[in-house]
Amino acid sequence: MFASLSRRRVILLVVLTCVLLITLDKRGNPVIDRARGVFATLIMRPVDVATNTLVLPIERAWDGITHYDDLKKERDALYDQVQHMRGNDVKAQTAILEAQELLRITRLSSALGYTSVLAQVVGDSSSNFQNTVEINVGSSRGVKVGMPVTDGAGLIGKVTKVFPDHSIVLLATDPSYAIAAQILATPEEVAEVIATSVTTPSGVTETETASTSTTTTLPFDQPDPAVSTTSTTSTLPPSTTTTILEIVRESGALEGQGNGRPLVLRFTDSSSAVTSVRVGAIVDTAGGNSSLAPHGIPIGIVTRVVTETGSSNAVVEVTLNARLERLNFVSVLLFEPNQNAVGR
Amino acid sequence: MPRILFGPAFRILPIGLLALSLQRLVFAEHPVHDVKLQLVLAVVVAAGAAGGPDRGAVVGFVLGLLYDLNGTTPLGLVALAYGLGGMTAGYVHTLVSEPQWWMASIFAIIGAGVGELAVPFLGQMIGDSGWITPRLLVQIPIVAAGAGLMCPALMPISRWMVGVKRRKWKVMVE
Repeated sequence: MFASLSRRRVILLVVLTCVLLITLDKRGNPVIDRARGVFATLIMRPVDVATNTLVLPIERAWDGITHYDDLKKERDALYDQVQHMRGNDVKAQTAILEAQELLRITRLSSALGYTSVLAQVVGDSSSNFQNTVEINVGSSRGVKVGMPVTDGAGLIGKVTKVFPDHSIVLLATDPSYAIAAQILATPEEVAEVIATSVTTPSGVTETETASTSTTTTLPFDQPDPAVSTTSTTSTLPPSTTTTILEIVRESGALEGQGNGRPLVLRFTDSSSAVTSVRVGAIVDTAGGNSSLAPHGIPIGIVTRVVTETGSSNAVVEVTLNARLERLNFVSVLLFEPNQNAVGR
Repeated sequence: MPRILFGPAFRILPIGLLALSLQRLVFAEHPVHDVKLQLVLAVVVAAGAAGGPDRGAVVGFVLGLLYDLNGTTPLGLVALAYGLGGMTAGYVHTLVSEPQWWMASIFAIIGAGVGELAVPFLGQMIGDSGWITPRLLVQIPIVAAGAGLMCPALMPISRWMVGVKRRKWKVMVE
């Protein structure tokens, strides 16, 4: 290589060639630009692909060896981040569920027409014999002894002790708890009556006057002395008709039997026939002067009807709508019951 | 096949392309203190240390030209700088005819320093300003040290590339 040239001539040749090339390139020679393109695409790219194929596994192995600790730290940090995000996710889901629960409670309370105070269950009974919970509102918020407590599903109990900032609620399952309750129709029966009133309105006396309410007793085909009441509100023009049906069967005292056991309804009228009550019937508070709660708070459904031996009386077991073992937000209805009833 | 195809002039190209490719794919991806080690320059100075100033200058010119073609520097700029680097490293042969590995490494360090330093200065001379910064004080020692470390490993390849064989000394026996 350049063997025939002396050292100085070789170096001089190299320097002169470089200077010439620099000059040509700086003047914007298109041949040099094209040469760059050809070199990059036709020569360097295949060489790069081949080199990459050979080098990449080695490079990865080397990275794996030298950056093992960094990768481990990064993995740990990412794991922590994932755990943190999972925690946030759970928090968000909890917030949504709590909001839904609060909404249900608020809806139920407002439907009853009484002012209510929202509360959160902050403690459970320490005794094995008392079914109570502690809530975080007290007399400072207007809570008084005897006031009914509900959650989104229905009645859960009554306030038995009130402190300025917290209260104790006796749950409906406690054996010392009792409340006047009434059995309504089963949901299927309600649907049946609605269908009857819509399709065959004969027998229903309607007085269609502007803004007039008419209450009519229906000849409801039932063997028992149940009272069927239909409230029909019609306005003119008569295209809008709202029908509210309420079929009351029996009333009695609903008593708790202890934690985890259904409530028992003892009829006021001991002559009530067993056939008058069906499993699945709706139970709500009866209301009245001596009741602890206003009329119409949902309590539960009839889950079992048992005939007492040697008697025509029936023992009706009622399962609460509310799940007492999962109480969180509750609502205290600011309904002041008769003081005689409170002590019961 | 013509003998020239197997000669040193045609060995430079594949070695140079491989070195350039490794430079782009490996050394450019793994900087040391934000300084990219220069494998191509290390090959050049190793060739200079193995074959002398003229061979070092020629190898520096060819590999620098490849570098210029691949990059955006003016064609001939890196070729001239690397030519100077290769020539500088080759001056080890003025001291000893068969340098030891450590002596070759020292001259490779000097040659690489010259080659790397020549790039911004030549760039400045032809109007590409902004390359001479205080960062050169960090950059050049690292590049030079890297070339010095790589030199012993690159010497056999460089010898083959420039067509130089190690001399075998024979003891005269009477």
